[in-house]
Amino acid sequence: MPRTRTTKKLAQRIDLNYFQKPRPFRRWRFWLSVTAPVAAMVWLGWHGLRGDPRVYSAGQLSRAHAVFANKCSACHVMRAGLFTEKTSDSACLACHDGAIHHASQTFTPSCGSCHADHRGAIRLAEVSEESCTQCHANLETRDGPAHYFTHIRSFNGDHPEFAVLRSGQPERGTIKVNHYLHLQPNLTGPNGRVQLVCADCHRPAADAQPWRFGSGIASAAIAPAASNESAGRPPSFTQASPAAYMAPATYAQTCSGCHLLTFDKRFSEQVPHDTPQKIHTFVVAKFQAYIAAHPSELRELRNPGRDLPEKPVPADYRVLTPTQWVAEHTAQAEDLLWRKTCKQCHTLNFSPEAASAPNNPAPLPAIAPSNFTTRYMPDAKFDHSQHRLVSCESCHVATRTSQQTADILLPGIATCRACHNTGTQAAESRCFECHTYHDPGQRKFAPGQFALPDLLQSMTLNRTETPADGL
Amino acid sequence: MRIDSTHRAWLVASAVILGVSAVLYAIYRVPASAGSMGGTAMGLAFGILGFAFMIFAGLLGARKKVPVWRVGRAQMWMRGHLWLGLLSLPLILFHAGFHSGGPLTAVLMWLLVIVVVSGLFGAILQHYLPTVMTREAPLETIYEEMEHVNAQLRQEAAELVEGAGARTAEDEEGVTIAVEEQAAPLQRFFAEELRPYLENSAARRGPLADASLAERSFAQLKRLLPPELHDTVDDLEDICEEHRQLARQARLHRWLHGWLLVHIPLSLALLLLGAVHAAIALRY
Repeated sequence: MPRTRTTKKLAQRIDLNYFQKPRPFRRWRFWLSVTAPVAAMVWLGWHGLRGDPRVYSAGQLSRAHAVFANKCSACHVMRAGLFTEKTSDSACLACHDGAIHHASQTFTPSCGSCHADHRGAIRLAEVSEESCTQCHANLETRDGPAHYFTHIRSFNGDHPEFAVLRSGQPERGTIKVNHYLHLQPNLTGPNGRVQLVCADCHRPAADAQPWRFGSGIASAAIAPAASNESAGRPPSFTQASPAAYMAPATYAQTCSGCHLLTFDKRFSEQVPHDTPQKIHTFVVAKFQAYIAAHPSELRELRNPGRDLPEKPVPADYRVLTPTQWVAEHTAQAEDLLWRKTCKQCHTLNFSPEAASAPNNPAPLPAIAPSNFTTRYMPDAKFDHSQHRLVSCESCHVATRTSQQTADILLPGIATCRACHNTGTQAAESRCFECHTYHDPGQRKFAPGQFALPDLLQSMTLNRTETPADGL
Repeated sequence: MRIDSTHRAWLVASAVILGVSAVLYAIYRVPASAGSMGGTAMGLAFGILGFAFMIFAGLLGARKKVPVWRVGRAQMWMRGHLWLGLLSLPLILFHAGFHSGGPLTAVLMWLLVIVVVSGLFGAILQHYLPTVMTREAPLETIYEEMEHVNAQLRQEAAELVEGAGARTAEDEEGVTIAVEEQAAPLQRFFAEELRPYLENSAARRGPLADASLAERSFAQLKRLLPPELHDTVDDLEDICEEHRQLARQARLHRWLHGWLLVHIPLSLALLLLGAVHAAIALRY
């Protein structure tokens, strides 16, 4: 008879007390359910016993605040009667006297709303665009219309063209320079034919390399006065390293090798690249010394080649007094200088009154200020040294064809956007890349709030915990 | 629980909540450079909602412990556990702005991910495995009774083999003979193969653990035995099949419930640490 499996038989196989027997699966589930929360509390308790509150940290602190990783109370200030210990501006201002952005601003954000910490080893100055656009997207001021664009939301969006290009105003400099000519091949140099490159004339102030066509001695009378940085704007607002900006080209460093200041064939020396008065004094002194050493030249023979037609033929020779001789030759030399040598680059103004004065036959001209523009964007900062990977003409594209002094060769915003955009492979394009919020020039000294041993203890704990952090 | 058309309302509601949350996150999203999303009003809203969903999902255990509570049907709680628990992950990701933050929040995030993933895994198993079990182990019994039933199967098999040796039969000339000698292959098979297999309830290898190999083994055994013992062999084969099905049921049962050993303990740790995080976040 084959084996049968009836309901009765199956029921008889069941041990009715099975639910009283130990059930391993349920036992495991119970003990694991007890162990996991207990382990979590032990983990928190272990950190609590060590006095290490970092387990509750919202994230790694910035490098500047890394020393406070174990000292939450440095920023999270307890207030009497309140549960919360959130950070406040007063905690930030204890160390940082963040100067106001603009006196006419209608709203001052809290420190933490822009400089959010606990985001890793970052620079806190690298704030989000929203930190700036919360005002600049619809800029309002307390005292009338704003002096800046009032609707800027991003560099790659509605940021206007740079002001100097937007205005359409010509270059304010008065030094006549023709970039097209200067970049031609086979120019006559001091020792033969030369090909100029940008760095022969334009270098940052920190550059210590010798100049190809200059002596390296700057003219103190010209260089400092040449800057025409926007008046009234605190220069510290956009402070930059000495390698950031191109220094004004000076005659001594960049021109003197080719543009000689000789004034008479009797002298190999050149007049100083200085004011007309000093040049005049130099020339007179040179001629006086010369005629004193060469009195025979007071008797001048007639040069037939210089006789003018329809004019009476002068005597075969004439004898001058030293004073006459010096005055005559000084006038000739200065005429050469003012009308040709200096005028080649400078704008000279001859005063009509001085010219008509009876006792001043050779009036000295006034030289127009060079008005070098050293900062085309006074409200922003730029660093040439950070852009040295690209050639000058990559950005200053119009240089090779520019023939007018009035040409402004500053690259437009589109050139910047080629690299500084929001793409994943792009360079930084947030506001802080070019603009500064707090004026470092107004920063006040804040006395130290912390004891070094405490900070060192905190740092030691950090090193123990995070050996790979690199701090 | 099978995920069928009865879940449609929950699915639609969850999709709507997720969609609205995603849109709100896209609008109020805080860039990485502007700090944490969790501290903003919208971030806090996401955090509170996500944690509330977690607590609701966690209360399923309490609801099961006290089935007499009149707080909705168990099926509703189970569906809510499934869908709201799943929704808690994206909501907490929105709350955190997709950043893990510090040690506690990173642990919380990992716990949540593990709990939700293990829950999803469990839901998938609970959806498919009961059907598989019905198909592959129709002779299933109560899981806790399995050892007891297996012991009975071993006893029954031993008695069958013992009884076969005591039986008699007539030969072709009508002479009555004892089959004890002829039952020797059966006894050897039982001692060497069947009993060891029946004693090891977890055995997954060997000729008897595989249905087709077992069928072949029993067919060979029959060829060695007189027809009088073929019924006994059939019974032994039936016992072997039942044991094999119980072993299969045990394996499926472990899959069906094993994930709970991860899901439940870590859920409790998650809720506890989540409460600590909420208190700390409100303070700092």
